[in-house]
Amino acid sequence: MFEWIINSYLLFVVLYFVGVNVSYTVMMILSLREILKYMHHNSFSDYRLTVQSELAVGVSVLAPAYNEEATVVESVRSLLKLNYGHFEVIVINDGSKDRTLRRLIDEFGLIQSNQIYAPEIPSKRVRGIYRSRVASYKNLVIVDKENGGKADALNVGINVAQYELVCVIDADSILEEDALQKVVKPFLEDHRVVAAGGIVRIANGCEVKNGRVVRVGLSTHFLPLFQVVEYFRAFLSGRMAWLNMNALLIISGAFGLFRRQAVIDVGGYRTDTVGEDMEIVVRMHRTFRERRRPYRVIFVPDPVCWTEAPESIRILQRQRNRWHRGLMDVMRFHGKMLFNPRYGAIGMSSMPYYLFIELLGPVFEFIGYIATIMLFVRGTANLDMAILFFIVSLLYGVMFSVGGVLLEEISFRRYPNPKHLVLLLFIGVLENFGYRQLTAWWRIRAFFDYARGQRGWGKMQRKGFRVGT
Amino acid sequence: MQTQLIIILSVTVALTFVVALVSIGLVIHKAVNAQEIRRRQRLYTHYSEKFAEVLLVDLPPLPSSARTSAIFKQYENLLAPVKKELESLPPVEALLHRKMLRGVLVDFARDLSGDAIDRLIYCFYSLDFVSEQIELLKHKHWWVRAQAARDLGLLRTRRALAALTAALEDPHQDVRDQARQAIASLAGVESLRTILRLTRRMSMWTALELSISVQQYGEETVPYLVEGLDLPDQSVVLFCIEMLAVIGFVSAVDPLRRLAKTYPSITVRAKAIEAMGRLGDQRSEELLVSFLRDPNPALRLKALEALGRIGAPAALPALIPRLEHGTLQEQIAAARAIAATGPTGTDELHRIAATGSKRQRAVCLHVLEERG
Repeated sequence: MFEWIINSYLLFVVLYFVGVNVSYTVMMILSLREILKYMHHNSFSDYRLTVQSELAVGVSVLAPAYNEEATVVESVRSLLKLNYGHFEVIVINDGSKDRTLRRLIDEFGLIQSNQIYAPEIPSKRVRGIYRSRVASYKNLVIVDKENGGKADALNVGINVAQYELVCVIDADSILEEDALQKVVKPFLEDHRVVAAGGIVRIANGCEVKNGRVVRVGLSTHFLPLFQVVEYFRAFLSGRMAWLNMNALLIISGAFGLFRRQAVIDVGGYRTDTVGEDMEIVVRMHRTFRERRRPYRVIFVPDPVCWTEAPESIRILQRQRNRWHRGLMDVMRFHGKMLFNPRYGAIGMSSMPYYLFIELLGPVFEFIGYIATIMLFVRGTANLDMAILFFIVSLLYGVMFSVGGVLLEEISFRRYPNPKHLVLLLFIGVLENFGYRQLTAWWRIRAFFDYARGQRGWGKMQRKGFRVGT
Repeated sequence: MQTQLIIILSVTVALTFVVALVSIGLVIHKAVNAQEIRRRQRLYTHYSEKFAEVLLVDLPPLPSSARTSAIFKQYENLLAPVKKELESLPPVEALLHRKMLRGVLVDFARDLSGDAIDRLIYCFYSLDFVSEQIELLKHKHWWVRAQAARDLGLLRTRRALAALTAALEDPHQDVRDQARQAIASLAGVESLRTILRLTRRMSMWTALELSISVQQYGEETVPYLVEGLDLPDQSVVLFCIEMLAVIGFVSAVDPLRRLAKTYPSITVRAKAIEAMGRLGDQRSEELLVSFLRDPNPALRLKALEALGRIGAPAALPALIPRLEHGTLQEQIAAARAIAATGPTGTDELHRIAATGSKRQRAVCLHVLEERG
């Protein structure tokens, strides 16, 4: 009986494996199609129109900051330099315990304003709104509030925002100068678009000068390199494919643009989850489908947001653990959508994909390893089969990692040096030998942390960007 | 089971082999491509320099009675060395040179006007790019058709007008957009009538693109825009209202008043009210004040904002009560409109800030701070 259970499970793993790889292959093909379509479509776009024209919609850039005294001034300066027509930068000081607010007040000549705070989304108490006396900073707004987490800070930012579109970024992210122009375009082309995400790229190894990435490079450490390849897979292959079906479930918290009223209509960000960026997108799908309101959530692969990737195992582990717990929250909150035809491609494709492949994938993989070991212990394992299967799974892993790099190379070619391409292809192979298994283990541990009720973000430390001279 | 796995393994090995081959191919391609890009850049610089000469060189003045053919002859002489160079190249090489040359002409066309653009257009015709591009408007790939439409527009090739008008009904949106832009730039302001009539469900992006041409022609476009207010497509009507406000031609007030009062869609009525505010014509005041009591909050808000732009002292008695009613947005807009009436309005805001309710006080202080 025991043998039968184990063998049945292993058969399930094989079938699961086939299903996963078929999904990945289909997604890669869909992504390639979407990327080419995007590139052709935008080759005629004169993005300067969004800078010059009075018709272009305004954007409120929201940057929540918590204990960012070391980098906040530089980040705000970089945001103020964005090349866009009408925009404001709203920094939300989420009850920082350090001198974040003081530094902003001193640097930008801020004074407390009489501006009315009329929340449309409930939030923690706002202590004050500050504006600058300096004319060149008149589009800068600083909101000081009680600590309530990133989601609460974003809700405050949305309440304060005066423009139709809100751009959500991390305070330490670097947006490329034309990123807003590019990400706004789909909103102008189609009034149904309620949310759009841009691509997030790893800045480790790049040269940053005056808050801009001036030279694209690769880190000399393995961990950020693995993440470069992972991000290619996630953004260029994953999100582009879901875009094809209007079934995109994630817009990265590091860079996303939303129609302000749409966010208010769904009640703003939830503050009781660490996966608030995914949760709000899923809630938008759910709400608008239930209300039969036409809408689109899209991904734009060109506007770039550079972010610093963790370089230490400990920090990376916390990040992955948090992402996985966030995914669990989303599945818990919106489980009703699973396999529910009422929600179209979301209920029938992307939610099941995220449940069975992203969330439970590491668990199936891990149990598979245990089952194989048990069979070996009992001396009933088929050694040839086990080795064969292991090799097959590794090879598929290699194929999809390399595929992600290829999508980048076919399309945007941000890494100019051929040596970069060789290194990334090599990393695409190497990440399947240890790194992938390690991240799978962290994700399994997230289940235990979730069961224990851990809901926090965990401390994240930033090393800072490499600054050019 | 074993057979199945062997099949999977074979497929995987084959796929990985393909991926590996493609990867190696891409690395080689990237290295070769880097060289190719440098070569193209050299060619681009070469032709940019040549054409800068062609465009900037002073030509001997011709008598005013000189025929166009005499001017063209001068241009042709300037172009002769380029043509000679192209003729001396092997066909494949000539193709690349022509491509780069076309790129240079198109890029130059974006920023030129006067005699320089005339020379450039002549070169475009003389090098036979025009028929080539017109032919490309029938290409099977939409992006090739769209690019051809864009280039023909940038180089103002009037011979392409018929082909571009036909492209306004192309199945692909991008081709239609580029054709619309091209026609607007090469057929002049009269083309606006055709463009507006043939446009359906205009996106904001299309409106943005078209607005550039409309703004170039300025007040000449007003009759066409006013005519456009009666077209059946609501997006076109909204565009016309917006453009009338941007151009700021006060004779547009009457048709806007009509729309604000009678149009079936609230969106259009609100837009018309907003436009009246932007035009700043005092003839609109009475109508705008009447909208302050409209049951629709969107129209009330737009009317308040419009009065804020005009700065209408006569509306003060109607505005003050609005500080007590409606949404916060309406109250702020009312306070702004009061402030815009001048010193009397500002004094009134100070008075309400001192004596009014908590909400009114906050609204007044907010607006007074805004006005410095």
